[in-house]
Amino acid sequence: MSAAPGSLTRAALGAALRVAGTVLPVMLGVVTAVFFLLRLVPGDPAVMILGDRATPQALAELRAELGLDAPLWRQYVDFVGGVLTRGDTGDSLVTGVPTAELVLSRAPVSLGIVALALVLVLAIAVPLALAAANRPGGWADQLVRIVPTITLGMPLFWIGLLLIIVFAVNLGWFPVGGVGSPGSAPLEPLRSLVLPALAVALGMAPPLIRSLRAQLLEVIEAEFVTTLRAARIPEHQIRWRHVLRGAALPTLNLLSVNLAYLIGGTLVVEKVFGINGLGTLLFQSISSRDFPVVQAVALYCAILVVLVTLAARVLSALIDPRLRGAR
Amino acid sequence: MTSTSRRAIVALALAATLGLAGCAPAAQGDGAEPTPTAGGTLTYGRLASANDLDLHTQITANNAFAIDKIFESLVSFDEHGKIIDWLAKNHEISADGLTYTFTLRDGLKYSDGTDVKAADVKFSLDRNLAKEGPLALTAPISEIATDDAAGTVVITLSEAYTPFLSELTSFSAGVVPKDFGGKTEEAFFKAPVGTGPFAIGEWDPAGDLNLVKNEHYWQDGKPLLDGLDYVFVADDNQLLQRLNAGQIDAIEQVPAANAESVEKGDATQLLKSDSWAIEQIFFNTQKPEFADVHVRRAVAQALDLPGITQATTFGTARAASSLIPPAIEYSAADAFDAEPVLSHDVDAAKQELAKSAFKDGFEATMLIPSGNSARAQIAQVVQESLAKIGIDVQIESIDLASFRERFKAFDYDFMINSGQSDAPDPNGLVTFQADPEGFSNSFWTHYTNPEVTKLMHAGRTTADGPEREQIYTDIQRILASDVPYIPVYYSPNLHGTTAKVHGLESLPNGSVRFQDAWVEAK
Repeated sequence: MSAAPGSLTRAALGAALRVAGTVLPVMLGVVTAVFFLLRLVPGDPAVMILGDRATPQALAELRAELGLDAPLWRQYVDFVGGVLTRGDTGDSLVTGVPTAELVLSRAPVSLGIVALALVLVLAIAVPLALAAANRPGGWADQLVRIVPTITLGMPLFWIGLLLIIVFAVNLGWFPVGGVGSPGSAPLEPLRSLVLPALAVALGMAPPLIRSLRAQLLEVIEAEFVTTLRAARIPEHQIRWRHVLRGAALPTLNLLSVNLAYLIGGTLVVEKVFGINGLGTLLFQSISSRDFPVVQAVALYCAILVVLVTLAARVLSALIDPRLRGAR
Repeated sequence: MTSTSRRAIVALALAATLGLAGCAPAAQGDGAEPTPTAGGTLTYGRLASANDLDLHTQITANNAFAIDKIFESLVSFDEHGKIIDWLAKNHEISADGLTYTFTLRDGLKYSDGTDVKAADVKFSLDRNLAKEGPLALTAPISEIATDDAAGTVVITLSEAYTPFLSELTSFSAGVVPKDFGGKTEEAFFKAPVGTGPFAIGEWDPAGDLNLVKNEHYWQDGKPLLDGLDYVFVADDNQLLQRLNAGQIDAIEQVPAANAESVEKGDATQLLKSDSWAIEQIFFNTQKPEFADVHVRRAVAQALDLPGITQATTFGTARAASSLIPPAIEYSAADAFDAEPVLSHDVDAAKQELAKSAFKDGFEATMLIPSGNSARAQIAQVVQESLAKIGIDVQIESIDLASFRERFKAFDYDFMINSGQSDAPDPNGLVTFQADPEGFSNSFWTHYTNPEVTKLMHAGRTTADGPEREQIYTDIQRILASDVPYIPVYYSPNLHGTTAKVHGLESLPNGSVRFQDAWVEAK
C-alpha cells in the first residue's frame, strides 16, 4: 500500500468522529424510545414481583419503594439524568442488582456467541462463495444457490433446535445448552457456545454468500484481473490475493449492516440454548416488566452496534484507499 | 385429525398413563432399589430464577421453592397434604380451639450452628404479621407467648380459627433467628440462615442458585446430598433436552405433552403427584351476559370437561367436578364425579340459555395468557363448543403481565387461569375464590353469594369433622351450580428426573423435598 501513514490515521479518525457524532443522538433516541414504549405496554412490575395474592396495600407499598408511583416525566428525567451524569442505568426492580452489573456479567457470553458466529459465518461464506464463483453454473454454484434458500426460510430457533437434536442429543458432541457448570473443564464454556454461534452463523450466511459470490464474479471480469492474467500471475494467487480483496469491501459493508441481525440473533438463540446471557436477561426483564434492565440492555446493545459499525467503517477505510478522506 | 381419532389417541394415551400410574411409586427403583449413597450434587433445572429469599414477602414459585429449602415452620405437610409436626416435636390444641401449644424439637440448630430458641419463633411470626405479605397469617392471633427453657410457643387466638394449623405449614411461617442474628434485614436475606436442609452457597438473583448441605440439619444423616444446584433455564424445551441428555439431574416441570416420553424414556423417569392447583374458566360477572346465572350454567353444560382434559393434558390430569381439588381435605370431587352437579349436555345447555336474557346468543372474548399451549387449546375447544349453543367466542391471547393487568382491572369477559391453594385446608381456596369482601373480589369474578359467604365464615370456626365437611360440600355444591368459574381439571405436578436420581418427594404445592434425594455415581 502506498498511502502515507498520516492520511491513514486521519481517515480512521475522520470515520471515527463521524460515527461518534451519531452515537449520542442514537443513544438518547434509543433510551427515550425504549423508556416510553415500555411504559405504553400494560403490566405492573409490582404485580409481577408479588404475584396475584398480593394485597392492594402491599402492591402500593412496593410501587412506592420502587419509585413507580412518581410521574412518568420524573422517572424519565431521573433515568436519563442518571445515565448522562453518572453513567448509572439504575437498579433492577426485581433483584435490586445494579443493571450495569447485570449487563456486564451477561455480556461476555453473548459477545462470545457474536464473535464466534462472526468467525463461523466467514468460515462458511468465504469458501462457499469462492467455490461458487470459481465455476458459475457448476454444481458448487447450484448447491450454494439452493441450500441457502432453504435455510433462509428457517426461523433461527428452529435451526437451533435441529442443531441441538443432531449434534447434542444424538451425537453428543456438544452440550445441549448452558455454558458449562462451575466444576467443568476450562474449555467447556467455549464448547457450549459452538452450536448457538453456528445457529446464528447459518441464519446469516446465505445473503453473505450471495453477495460475496456476485462481487467475486464482478471482480473476476474486471480489467485489472485480465491484466494480471496477461502478466502470467498464477490463477490461485489472483483469486486469493486480488479478487478476494476486491470483493471483500462490499461484503464487509453487508456484514456491518447485518450486525443488528447478528446481535438480535444471538439474543434469540440464547433462549433456545438456555444460555443466561443478555438475550435471556432481556426476555426475562420484559416479561417481568423490569424497566431499568430492559433500558440498560437496549442502551448497551445500541452502544455495541454503533461501536462495531464504527470499527467496520474504519476497517473499510483501511482496505479501500478511495474511502480515505472521503466526506 | 378428526375429533374422533384425536379422542381415540388421547384415550389410548390416557389408558397407558393410568396403567403406569398404578405402579408410579415403584417406578423410582424398578425392582431392586439401589442403596442410597450420601454425597454429590444434584442439579435441578428450573424455568425461573430465585430472585428474592424474604420468606415474608414472597409467594411466586421461583422464590417459594428456594425459600422452603432454607426456612422451615413448626408444622408442615407430607406428599398427600397431611399436616405433620416439623420443627415442633408435637402440638396441642385446646378444646375451645383458642390455644395452640407447640414444643420445639430438642437440639434444633440453624445452618450456622446457633441454637433455635422459642423467642425466634415469636420474632418470625410477628414479622409475618407485620409485613402483611401475600401469605401472611390471617388467623386472629391475640398473643404469642414463649418459654425458651421449656422450648414452647403458645399462640392464643381471639376466636376459633380452624385453618390456623394449615396456615402454619406455609414456608412463610418459617423460623428465622431473632433480630436476624444481629444483621440488617437486607444483609440477612442476601445470605439467609435457617433450619432447612440446605443453606445458600453462591447465588445470582437473575441466574443460578447453589445450595449447600446444612451440616446442622435436625433430621439425622440428612440431607444426603452435599449440594443442590438450581439451574436457571429459560426455555421448557431446552430444559427437557438437557434432562434427556443427562446434562441435568432433574427438572421442576415437564410439559404435559412430554410426560409420556419422560416416563417411558430409558434414562428418565416421571415424578407425578396430585396438586393443590386447578385450571379454571373464570367469568367476569360484571359483564351483563355472565352476570346471568343461566348463561354461566349453559356454558358449563356445553363443555365436555373430561374430553378437554384428556386432549389438553395428554391424560396426565383428572377432570374437575368441584372447586376443591382431591389433594385437599373435604374435596367433593369423588362425590360429584359419581353424581355431577352439572354435566355435559348440549341440549340442556341450549335450554338453560333459553332461560336467560340472551336466548339468541351473544359475542364474548376469552382472555388467555400467551405462551401457554394448554390454555390456547382449551380456549379453542371452548370456542368450538360454545358456537353450538350460539355463543360466538373470540380468543384474545396476550402476554402474562398484560393478562394480569387486564383481569385485575375487570377488563375481560371470561378467561382461563388457575387457582391454587397454598395450604392443605379448603378455607384458603374458598376465601380467595368466593369471598366478595376479600381484595380479589372472588378471584376477580365479582361473584357474590351471601349463602356462600355465611358458610365460609362458619367453615373457619367449625372444628374439623363431619360438620365442617358438610359446610365445604355445601359450598362446593353452590359454586358448581352458580358457576362463577368452571373448574376444568386438577393440574398434576409433573417433575422429571434421570434414572440415576432417587428419593425426591413431590409435594402438592408444587415444591420438591430433597432431604432423601441422592444421585447414583455418574
